[in-house]
Amino acid sequence: MNHPVTEADVEEFRAEVRAWLAENVPAEPLPPWTEREGFDLHRAWEGRLFEGGYAAVDWPAEYGGRDAGLRRSMAFAEEYYRAGAPERINMGGLYLLGPVLMQYGTPEQCARWIPDLLACRTIWCQGFSEPGSGSDLASLRTRAERDGDHFVVNGQKIWTSMGGFADWIFALVRTDPEAGRKRKHDGITFLCIDLRSPGVEVRPLAMVDGTRGFAEVFFTDVRVPVENVVGEIDRGWAVAMSTLGFERGAVFGDHAKFSNDVADLAALVDARDLGEDTHALDELGRVLVQTEVYRANVYRLAARAEAGGELDSTASINKVFWTQMQHDIFDTGIRLLAEDGAAVGDPGSLPDADPATLRAWSQWHHRYWYARAAMIFGGTNEIQRNIISERVLGLPMEPRR
Amino acid sequence: MTLHDTLDQDRRELVELTDDLLGRHCDLDFLRARIDDGTAHTPGLWSRLAETGLVSALVAEEQGGAGLSPAHLSGVLHSLGRHAVPEPYLETAVLAATVLGALPGPVADTWLPRIAAGDAIVVVRLGELTPLVPYAADADLLLDLADDGAVRAFTADELEVTPVAALDPLRPLARVVLAGAGTEVGDDSAVVARTRTLALAGAACLLAGASQRLLDLTVEYVAVREQFGRPVGSFQAVKHKAADLAVMVDMATAAALSAFDAVDEPDGPRRAAAAKAYAGDAAARANVDALQLHGGIGFTWEYHLHIWLKRAMGLAASYGTTTALRRDLARELLARVAGERRG
Repeated sequence: MNHPVTEADVEEFRAEVRAWLAENVPAEPLPPWTEREGFDLHRAWEGRLFEGGYAAVDWPAEYGGRDAGLRRSMAFAEEYYRAGAPERINMGGLYLLGPVLMQYGTPEQCARWIPDLLACRTIWCQGFSEPGSGSDLASLRTRAERDGDHFVVNGQKIWTSMGGFADWIFALVRTDPEAGRKRKHDGITFLCIDLRSPGVEVRPLAMVDGTRGFAEVFFTDVRVPVENVVGEIDRGWAVAMSTLGFERGAVFGDHAKFSNDVADLAALVDARDLGEDTHALDELGRVLVQTEVYRANVYRLAARAEAGGELDSTASINKVFWTQMQHDIFDTGIRLLAEDGAAVGDPGSLPDADPATLRAWSQWHHRYWYARAAMIFGGTNEIQRNIISERVLGLPMEPRR
Repeated sequence: MTLHDTLDQDRRELVELTDDLLGRHCDLDFLRARIDDGTAHTPGLWSRLAETGLVSALVAEEQGGAGLSPAHLSGVLHSLGRHAVPEPYLETAVLAATVLGALPGPVADTWLPRIAAGDAIVVVRLGELTPLVPYAADADLLLDLADDGAVRAFTADELEVTPVAALDPLRPLARVVLAGAGTEVGDDSAVVARTRTLALAGAACLLAGASQRLLDLTVEYVAVREQFGRPVGSFQAVKHKAADLAVMVDMATAAALSAFDAVDEPDGPRRAAAAKAYAGDAAARANVDALQLHGGIGFTWEYHLHIWLKRAMGLAASYGTTTALRRDLARELLARVAGERRG
């Protein structure tokens, strides 16, 4: 950017975004993306965002973004959530793989994958976790053996978000088991794999709330061109760590989403006539305070990023806080619904419920379970606490290998 | 993230200046001597704060001050909390100075130069926020701010001040009865509202600083205390408690400093109330975990943890409790949402 972004620039951009969203956001909320029909509608929405030039406003213009900078990107996110626009479904591509390609990818890789990713013509999922490798990710065993200008991949990935709907996976595979025996972080490669390749089997996992947002992916003698490696062969750990940094760190502007959720919670308290109930007030006040604190932190991190400061050390603190806050919001909501919330398994069982209760039920159960998952994915909150205690507070390492 | 990373250059320099001054003149020996003789405020430390320009920072230049805006002092307040400074800095240098600065007249003309010179302690009474008035027994003047906007000044001889036994001996409290007629300073509900916001955000900064010190003391201790042949700070049960506390202290700091910067924004009152409420939560966590992780030594009078334990408890209970602030914020949101639903 040639000139510093002024408050007037931000407000001008905000007004433009607000007008576009008012024109384009679907009047009725889309059905959940965890079923095929809802997924296709969300994908169509992503296409519309792309056409409007809003798929990734923070990206550099050379990759199809708007070079919006932090403050305009935050204004975009604030307006997006304020307008009640659909949940984004291509976060793995936009926020994890995209930035990785810009940092580690070759110009050919960027040209090949980024435009389709940005337009949501291809959906990407992340293939890191394995059945035996969760928190101890570097112990992963999915093998990729070199055969001429291909790798032959055998193994299994699990907990791949949107795996059942994705076209491509960016995966960590072991390419040098010998090096890995000396130091397990060595000999790992970051490899992009077309899920339509022969030998790939994707099995959606039915989750606790009945949805199928996650999948297991099995690889049997899958041939993948060597040119699909991002970064250096055997040095994929550094590439993977940079994606985890993106995953844990602030998605600038998501504070607006949580503030909306707390406003919905207030609407529920009002609809259920709990406005004078001190317990309900305490619970509502507690999550309202958390969202205000989170917003202050997002703005602090943005100011720091704008000044060129590093955010790595803050990512773990941020992840523990926002995942706990998100849990508290939906947990509070479900408890405020009392028997209607936690004892009934389907909103159809509540024929006499008020609209706010029905809306809360249908929206929050899915997000409640997602909130529980968020305390596990991207490095469990226990792993984050290890990182905070060792790298931020400087306490001694646990013995581990 | 450290405080250093959160502040810009100007404010960082003010914090360094404050830390340096307090490191030399408000160390543990000094604080213990204050507890032993039962005097928190001393003219000695107050005049050192005044000589460095910290007391007059918000007073206009023509009245002997530096004419800074409150936002400059957020980090200074955090530092004062870390050092458990036993002085009415928030009350006199921040609240009284801004009230008098906003309400020009004979009272301001008389008292602002005295505040700026470090010659007067002026405290504020803010309705329900101050059922007990901090440092009232040391005050030369009390400003009484009524909710309707009336601001009156009472000199010491117009007050009946009854000190109470404060939990934190370094932050004295008193019941105050207005015995004389006082003098009218002004009538401006916006000034009263802004002062409330400043008090909440300022107390949040002090409290975040005190919690930071509890965390720092705890981390230092568990890194050197050994059991089973290793530092106890290498055990995950201890590390995770410390990490959770670090999250709360860091977030409390972010919220407090940003709320203090934002007192004049439209959402300033909400942000200040949220910051104080959360700082109170973080302080309660810091209190519990710091003592737990110190073990027996933390209970002793000889070790100094109690200074910050009590500072955290006392400040959390002052200028609005977490429970009361949360309920007010919830009611305000409910009113807004209910209005939209029916509107």
